[in-house]
Amino acid sequence: MGQMVEFSDTECMICTAARLLEDRKTVFVGWGMPQLVAMLAERLYTPNLVQVFEFGAIGPQGLIPFVRGTMGGPTNVYRSLQWSNMNWAFAYAATGYVDYGMIGAAQIDAYGNVNSTMLGGTYERPARRFPGSGGGNEVASLCWRTILVMKHEPRRFVERLDFMTSPGYLNGPGGREKAGLPRATGPWRVVTSKALFGFDEETKRLTLLGVLKGLSPAAVLEGMEFRPRVTDSLEEISPPREEELRVLREQIDPSGIVIRGEKMQAER
Amino acid sequence: MKESVAVETLLQGTAEIRFTHPDDFREWVRQHKRREMVEKLMTEREAISRYVADGDYIAYDFSSLTRGPQTLVREIIRQRRKDLWVCAEFTLHETALLVGGGCASRIDVGFLGYGSYIGRAVSEGRVRVFDWTNGALAARMLAGARGIPFMPLRNLLGTDTLRHSGARVVHDPFTGDPVCLVPALNPDVFLVHVHQADAFGNARIFGTNLFALEAAMAARKVIVSAEEIVDPLEFRKDPSRTTIPYFLVDAVVHLPFGAYPAGVQARYELDLEHIDKLNAIQTEEQMQAYLAEYVYGIQDHADFLDRKVGWRKLQELVRRATIREGYH
Repeated sequence: MGQMVEFSDTECMICTAARLLEDRKTVFVGWGMPQLVAMLAERLYTPNLVQVFEFGAIGPQGLIPFVRGTMGGPTNVYRSLQWSNMNWAFAYAATGYVDYGMIGAAQIDAYGNVNSTMLGGTYERPARRFPGSGGGNEVASLCWRTILVMKHEPRRFVERLDFMTSPGYLNGPGGREKAGLPRATGPWRVVTSKALFGFDEETKRLTLLGVLKGLSPAAVLEGMEFRPRVTDSLEEISPPREEELRVLREQIDPSGIVIRGEKMQAER
Repeated sequence: MKESVAVETLLQGTAEIRFTHPDDFREWVRQHKRREMVEKLMTEREAISRYVADGDYIAYDFSSLTRGPQTLVREIIRQRRKDLWVCAEFTLHETALLVGGGCASRIDVGFLGYGSYIGRAVSEGRVRVFDWTNGALAARMLAGARGIPFMPLRNLLGTDTLRHSGARVVHDPFTGDPVCLVPALNPDVFLVHVHQADAFGNARIFGTNLFALEAAMAARKVIVSAEEIVDPLEFRKDPSRTTIPYFLVDAVVHLPFGAYPAGVQARYELDLEHIDKLNAIQTEEQMQAYLAEYVYGIQDHADFLDRKVGWRKLQELVRRATIREGYH
């Protein structure tokens, strides 16, 4: 029997996402949690990952600790290969140079379409208003493979989004191409604090690929408005590893501003 | 190549847009933008009172936490401009403060940060928002800077963001595929805080930017605030580092610490304590108390630094800006 380990839901998401990134590739990094994912991956798994930021930092080796909220500050853009600006940063993605994109979401649907704009009410008078697309729409449209990182709450998985901010597979296979989005792009993985999802090759619908050690697929999917497919070869997601937690807690976010969250535990 | 045909609009977003015919913008440039090198140094009060009018569309560069033109924004609020249309690109508290000050009535959204206060203002209908994306607003600025009416994009397509923006979808005459067209943006005012400027308006930014040159070219009126005023000869001695040439600029304001509470790369770090104060604003009372203390209740930038920040704090922020490489 292994030992029980305690961590926050945020830490779990960050660690699972960091293990997905591929070394010697380019990744478009969105604001907030994706920044910590890239920092962790760079330190433990993918030292040659080239990060691209929407404000024009290409290939920075960001300094830690992470300065909360910074996007474009001196620690964030440290030792870049190029300092440019927004039109050129997105142009790299538009021309196919960016392999992965990583963004957050408030709500997603079965085709990986994303809402980060508003919830409830009407567009003019929303019950809750969020920041909107930022660069999320560009990332989800133009990078080859998009990774969505989101807190695991069943109510965030909906049949119909309150607002489609950024495109997943729109209404199914061929939807992106028909709309005029670049060919062969789209959401690739959805990382939550309890599970990992991909998308079915044929139907482009959300598919459960893995669950956190100790959880059952049924428990993970309970309460979602739609029923994701479950892969035949379900993978067990390791809870945050000792080394990951050490780097996150001691080096990247020692003040705990980003990594704090709901307490979870699992057997290591 | 196909024969020319009328382009059919497949989809048209619903947003109201501020649009200028490229010829009208050229005419403005012909009549108002001075080609002769004249000194444009003035105070922030003079710059805002001369160049920002009620109803103007305003844009700024860079972010709320780095090199944002915070002193100029505070001066706009102090002078109680009304009915501004704000390009909220990469912005957190500036837009919230402009709404709190009753200055902004419409916002084009790229990224509209600092949730609850501004979120409530939108929900209550005190300010109207039009959703775009960071990239779409930057592309609109590029079109405005190029003197062309629109820019074609391969994103926004298929989303509600497009439907609520002012973009259009047409068949691209070259590929035959649907393509998104975003209209050129020519702001009335562009505010930018830079590392160095000369008295004529030549300006240098070190580090990344959003669209500093594009917006300076696209805007009718450009106000530069600078950490440091340098001799014009500095630009001629090292021209590859000029970000904005003088003829785009209408006013130059010497404002050391002009981005506070944001930081300026290699000069001073952001003041997280003060940023937290801004973050904590949720209610109207809190907003008005903040504005009373830090905006309405002060004379000018120097008074703000003297009474609201202080020499000790400023020195601490300077001391913390230890990363110098690349910013010179």
